[in-house]
Amino acid sequence: MNNMIFLERNVEVEKNKISAQGVQVFYGENHALKDVNVDILDKTVTAFIGPSGCGKSTFLRCLNRMNDTIAGCRIVGDIRLDGEDIYEAAVDPVQLRAKVGMVFQKPNPFPKSIYDNVAYGPKIHGLSRSKAELDEIVETSLRRAALWNEVKDRLHAGATGLSGGQQQRLCIARAIATGPEVLLMDEPCSALDPIATAQVEQLIDELRSRYSVVIVTHSMQQAARVSQRTAFFHMGNLVEYGETGHIFTNPSDPRTESYITGRIG
Amino acid sequence: MNNEPHIASAFDRDLEAIQAMIVRMAGLVETSLLQAAEALETRDEELADTVREGDKVIDDLELQINTEAARMIALRAPAASDLRTALSVIKIAASLERCGDYTKNLAKRSNVLAQLSPVGGSTRSIRRIAKAVQLQLAGAIDAYIKRDYDMAVEVRNRDKDIDQMYNALFREFLTHMMEDPRNITACMHLHFIAKNIERLGDHATGIAEQVIYLITGHLPEESRPKGSLPSSATKK
Repeated sequence: MNNMIFLERNVEVEKNKISAQGVQVFYGENHALKDVNVDILDKTVTAFIGPSGCGKSTFLRCLNRMNDTIAGCRIVGDIRLDGEDIYEAAVDPVQLRAKVGMVFQKPNPFPKSIYDNVAYGPKIHGLSRSKAELDEIVETSLRRAALWNEVKDRLHAGATGLSGGQQQRLCIARAIATGPEVLLMDEPCSALDPIATAQVEQLIDELRSRYSVVIVTHSMQQAARVSQRTAFFHMGNLVEYGETGHIFTNPSDPRTESYITGRIG
Repeated sequence: MNNEPHIASAFDRDLEAIQAMIVRMAGLVETSLLQAAEALETRDEELADTVREGDKVIDDLELQINTEAARMIALRAPAASDLRTALSVIKIAASLERCGDYTKNLAKRSNVLAQLSPVGGSTRSIRRIAKAVQLQLAGAIDAYIKRDYDMAVEVRNRDKDIDQMYNALFREFLTHMMEDPRNITACMHLHFIAKNIERLGDHATGIAEQVIYLITGHLPEESRPKGSLPSSATKK
């Protein structure tokens, strides 16, 4: 049967991008994440699914140290990006977040022009030496985010005038403008209509050729559609992690089965 | 397997309704198999006609099951064991529809045979194999509804007994034909009947295999025990 696996399901690079070992997270007394071990592959879309409060977003936020900003949050364990410990004292979280970009649930463009939204990251990280170079970064990022053709004639118009789906793709363009290696997406389509959702999903599939994409989603169908690997979290535990087709047709753990068939909330 | 109810109870009702249709369809097939075999032995043309007409109901049920299954896949997007259930009802319905055709054919041949002189006690033997196959079918459907792995494996293993019964019939018909060429027409019909009942048994095995797939997510890997062909049936 192995030779029957559809080509598109194949993960091109069987190389670990992020490796997490024994990760535990505490919010004060609350033990939010209990001993998570997972290897996230490069050039692969990995979906985190699970009911609310299961720890999937908490774990996602560990991957670019977004939890640092939360008072009382304590993280134990080891998370490595390309073998480097991201929680080492020498690591600058701002630099880390340029490498590990993030897209949020609600589109959150800056109240600036479309151009400035995308140019902001490269500017503060000093990624361009000239106006021409910056223009090029903006264009490439917008093209990769499949937004260029829609906005090329109004780059200096306000970003808030775009539709919700366009705004979300702008946020993706902004995230990829700093040349990240990993893209984290926390419910990127939950505020979008089905057409904008399909466009963003198509975009995610295209982005996979360059980045390691990690997406948190409440829509199991979305996880099934866009990802090659799926991780199911439940009550702070990583219950099951594996090939998406396998998780959705024949999961090993009864808790995964219950969740994906709509039996527990 | 998962016996917890779904959060959406309408989903459970849909799943139950579609499986109830499978049970009903299997019941009709079992009845028509027994009736057709009875009609054959008792030369009851009226009963045989009832069986032939009854096949329409079985065909309609298959159509209805397929429609409902397609609807469930479209509306509920079933996953894991629910998806396997949706797929299995389609396959089992197709098997049962085929079984219905075999019993209809049996009834048709039984009316032809009613016009010919009887050949020994062959029709009694046919009725015996029909009863054995009906039990196989009932066992497979029972295993399906109970999601009983061991029961499904048992049904699958018992198929060799059916094969042996068929082989014995094959030899019996051959003997009758050699004894008296005037038996050939009747024996050819009887042989087709026996073969079709044996195939019906294969469908019961196929359903048992669907049950194994439904429970484990894999079709059984090891080949099932098979009786050997009668020596006179193998090519020289």
